[in-house]
Amino acid sequence: MSQPRRSPHDSYETETTDHQTETETILLKHLPLSPDLPSPLQKDAHLQFLIRNLIQGFPSRYTSQDASQPWLLYWTLQSFSVMGVALDPDNKQKAIDTIMAWQHPDGGFGGGPGQAAHLLPTYAAVCALAIVGRPGPGGGWDQIDREKMYEFFMSIKLSDGAFLVAHHAEVDVRGTYCLLVTAHLLNMLTPELLEGVPAFIMSCQTYEGGFSSASQPYFSPEPEGPPTLLDSPRPPLGEAHGGYTFCSLASWTMLQPYLALQKPSLQRSSLNFKTLLRWLVQMQGSEIELGGFKGRTNKLVDGCYSWWVGGCFALLSSLGIIGAHGRDDNHESSTTHQEDEAWDDIDDSLWDRAALQRYILCAAQHPAGGLRDKPPKPADSYHTLYCLAGLSSAQHNVFLSSTRQDVIVRSWKTPPESMHERLRQACFSHSLSWTEEEGTSRILGAQNNRMNATHPVFNLTMTHTEGIMAHFYKQTIPSRPKKM
Amino acid sequence: MKIEIVVDPARPAPPASLVSRVAPAASAPAASDARGASCCILQRPEWADVVPLEQYENVTPLAPIFYTDEYRDATNYFRGIVKSGEMSPRVLELTENVIRQNPGHYSAWQYRYKTLMALKSPLDDELQLMDELAIKHLKTYQVWHHRRLLVQQTRNPGPELEFIANSLQVDMKNYHTWSYRQWILAYFNDDALWSHELDFVESMLESDVRNNSAWHHRFFVAFQSGVRNGDEDRDAIVRRELAFVKERIAIAPNNASAWNYLRGVLDHAKIPYSELQAFVLPYSLPQLPLGIPPEVVDLENPLPSKDSQLPCVAAVEFMADIHEAAGGGDLVKATELWKSLANEHDTIRKRYWEYRIAESLKTKSGGDG
Repeated sequence: MSQPRRSPHDSYETETTDHQTETETILLKHLPLSPDLPSPLQKDAHLQFLIRNLIQGFPSRYTSQDASQPWLLYWTLQSFSVMGVALDPDNKQKAIDTIMAWQHPDGGFGGGPGQAAHLLPTYAAVCALAIVGRPGPGGGWDQIDREKMYEFFMSIKLSDGAFLVAHHAEVDVRGTYCLLVTAHLLNMLTPELLEGVPAFIMSCQTYEGGFSSASQPYFSPEPEGPPTLLDSPRPPLGEAHGGYTFCSLASWTMLQPYLALQKPSLQRSSLNFKTLLRWLVQMQGSEIELGGFKGRTNKLVDGCYSWWVGGCFALLSSLGIIGAHGRDDNHESSTTHQEDEAWDDIDDSLWDRAALQRYILCAAQHPAGGLRDKPPKPADSYHTLYCLAGLSSAQHNVFLSSTRQDVIVRSWKTPPESMHERLRQACFSHSLSWTEEEGTSRILGAQNNRMNATHPVFNLTMTHTEGIMAHFYKQTIPSRPKKM
Repeated sequence: MKIEIVVDPARPAPPASLVSRVAPAASAPAASDARGASCCILQRPEWADVVPLEQYENVTPLAPIFYTDEYRDATNYFRGIVKSGEMSPRVLELTENVIRQNPGHYSAWQYRYKTLMALKSPLDDELQLMDELAIKHLKTYQVWHHRRLLVQQTRNPGPELEFIANSLQVDMKNYHTWSYRQWILAYFNDDALWSHELDFVESMLESDVRNNSAWHHRFFVAFQSGVRNGDEDRDAIVRRELAFVKERIAIAPNNASAWNYLRGVLDHAKIPYSELQAFVLPYSLPQLPLGIPPEVVDLENPLPSKDSQLPCVAAVEFMADIHEAAGGGDLVKATELWKSLANEHDTIRKRYWEYRIAESLKTKSGGDG
C-alpha cells in the first residue's frame, strides 16, 4: 500500500496541526501492508478483557466511573451481544440484581445504589435489562417502576422541550436521546412527554450541519399566563459534535411517528439534511488517518465516533435522505460475493465502510484486549463497545422496512382508538421495522471479523429489542422471514 | 455461545463479601492533600452519630469497582447523609471530599448545591473553590454546571469571562468551557458582557486559526444571539465577517473550520456562493496563477499565502457548488471538479462526490423534463 499523503498544513503550524501530525505519525505505523488484509479481530482477547472486568471487577482507576455503573455494565453486556456471546443464567441473575439496586425509589435509575436518578444511567440500566432481564419475579422487567419513572421524566421537562438530565443538573441532548429510548422500550410514550421536543432538537443544529449539546431559549413575557418561547434567537451552545449529533438524529428518528400524527401545519420545519450529510462525511478521516471518524472539525480521529458518526448514516437513510439503501422488494440477491467484486457493486452508501473497518481493526484494537480511542491509548469499556458497534454498522446495511412495518401494524392486537394509542402503535412498529438487507453485509478481512447487526437507534440487537418491547407493549411480534 | 469464566491469575478474584474491602495493592491515594482527604472520616469523632450505608446490601454486584478505602468510606457516609436528609456545614465538607476523589459524582454535586441553598452559604467562597476544581477537572460536566447554578444565584457574571479565558489557555477546545461562555453571554444578555467578545475570539483565532470552537463562538456572537446596540446594520456585519474569514483562509487555506464558517455566513445571509467566485477560484487551482504582480493586492480577495498547498479541497468543493447552482452547461464543470475530488484530491469521500454527481444529474433531468 503506497504511503498516503499527509494532511496539508500550508507551512503554517498551530497546536491543531501539531496534534494532527503527531497522530498521523503514529497511525502510519498501523497501516496494513495491503488494504484488504487488515489485522484480524482479536475476539478472544476482547472477550477476556470484558470478562475480567465483569467477574473480577474494575481496577481502582475506574473510580471516576462510580457514577456510571450502569454504563460500565451496559457497555460490557452490549459488547458481548455484538460479538454473539451471552451470559450464563447465574451471571445473568447477578446482573439483574445489580441493576435493580440502582433504581431510585422516586423513579428512574441512578449511577449506583443510593445515587440520584439521572437520564443517562436510566438508559444504560434499561438497555442492560433488555439484554439480561426477563418477565416475572426477580427478572427485573416487572420490577421497573414505570409510573414513578414517568413522573421523574415529567419533573425534569422544561418549557422549551428540553430535559434536565437530573434534578438541578444540566440540559443536554444526550438526555433527550436516553429518555426517548427508555420511553420507547418501556411503552411510556405520551403526547405530553414529546411536546416541544422536535423544536428543541432542531434548535441544536449548528451552521456546520452537526449538532451541539443544547440551545439557549429566550422567552417573551406575556401579561397573563406563561411567557412565550421565541423561535429566534435560540442559539446552540457549543459547536457541532459527533456524540450530540448521533443523539439528535436518533431522537429525530424516534420522533417520526409522533410528527406524522401532528397537524400538517406543525410538520413544516425540519432539519437541514444537506449540511448535516456534508458534515457527517467530512468527519471521516483520510487514508493517513486510516478512515477513522473524528467528532468535530479540526480534531483528531477517535474509535468511539465509529458509532456516533458512522451510525448516523443508517438513520439518515431511514429518513429518506440518502440513497435507496434498503431495497424493500424481496429480490433474491446472491449471498455469495467474492471479496474483490463486492464493495462497489452492492454498497451504495455515501461513506467509506471499508476504511472505517480498517481503522478499527488496525488502530483501535489494543494488543492486550479491549478497544480504544487510538494508539497508544489504553483500552476501556466505553471504546470497546463503540468501536465494536461501529464495526457492526460498517459491516451491515440495516434499513427501515415499510414491508416489515405493515406486517407489524397488521398484527397489533387491539385497534388503537385514542391519539395516545395510535402514538404507541406507531412507535412500536417504527422501532421494530429495522431489517438487514440480505446479502449486502461487507466484512473486511476474515469472516471471523463479523459482528452482529445492532438496532441503529437503540444500540441493542434486534432480538433483545423485540423481546423487551413485546413484553411491555403486550404484543406478539410476527416472526421474520429471515433471521437478522 | 456462553461465557466461560477464566480467572486471570494476575488479578485474583477476592471472595465476594470482601470485594469492596480490598485495598488496592499498588495504587496509593494520589490526591491526599490537607483538605481532609488524608484520613478516613470514619475515624473522626464528629461523624460518630452518622450511620454509614454500604453500597450494596444483600446483593453481590457484578462488575464491582475496586475503590480505595478512602473513597468507599466517604461515599458510605454520603449515602448515610442522603438517607437522613441532613443539610449542615459538615455535609459541605463531606461532599467536597467525595467530589475531590471523583468529580463525576453528580449526586454529591446535586446534594451539595441543595445544602448550600438550605444553609444560605456564602457563594463567593464556593466560587473560589470552583476556580480551583474547574481547572483541575476541565473535562467534567459537573464542575461547569455547578458554576452555572452558583452564578445564577449571585447574578454576577462579570468575572466569569476572564476565568473562562484563563481556562481556555489550558485547553483551548474544551467543549464545556466554550458552551459555558456562550451560556453566560446568552443568559445574562448584558451589553457590557458582549462588548469585547469579538476581540476575544480574534485573539483565540490568533493563537490557533484552526480552532473550530472559536469559529463556532464567533458565529454565535455575530449571528445567533440577537442584535446588540451598534450592530443593527446586518449587511455590514455580514461584510465584516466575510472580510474576516477571507483573511484567515488566505493565511492557511486548508482549514475546514474557516471554510465551514464562510459557508455558514453565506447560508445565514442567503447570499449565493457565486458572489465569492473571484475569491475562491485561485484556491481551487493546482498552483497560484502566474503573472499577478505582487504589488497588485486585491484587498477584497486576498490570494493564498505563498506556502499554501493547492488546490485546496474545500475550494474545489466550493467551486463545484457554484457551478451546480448555475446549472445548464456549468454542470459539466461541476462534475469535472467532483471527479477530481473523488479520484485525486479527496478519495476517502469518493462515494459522496459520486453521489453529488448523480444528484446533480437527477436535478438536471428533472428540470429538463
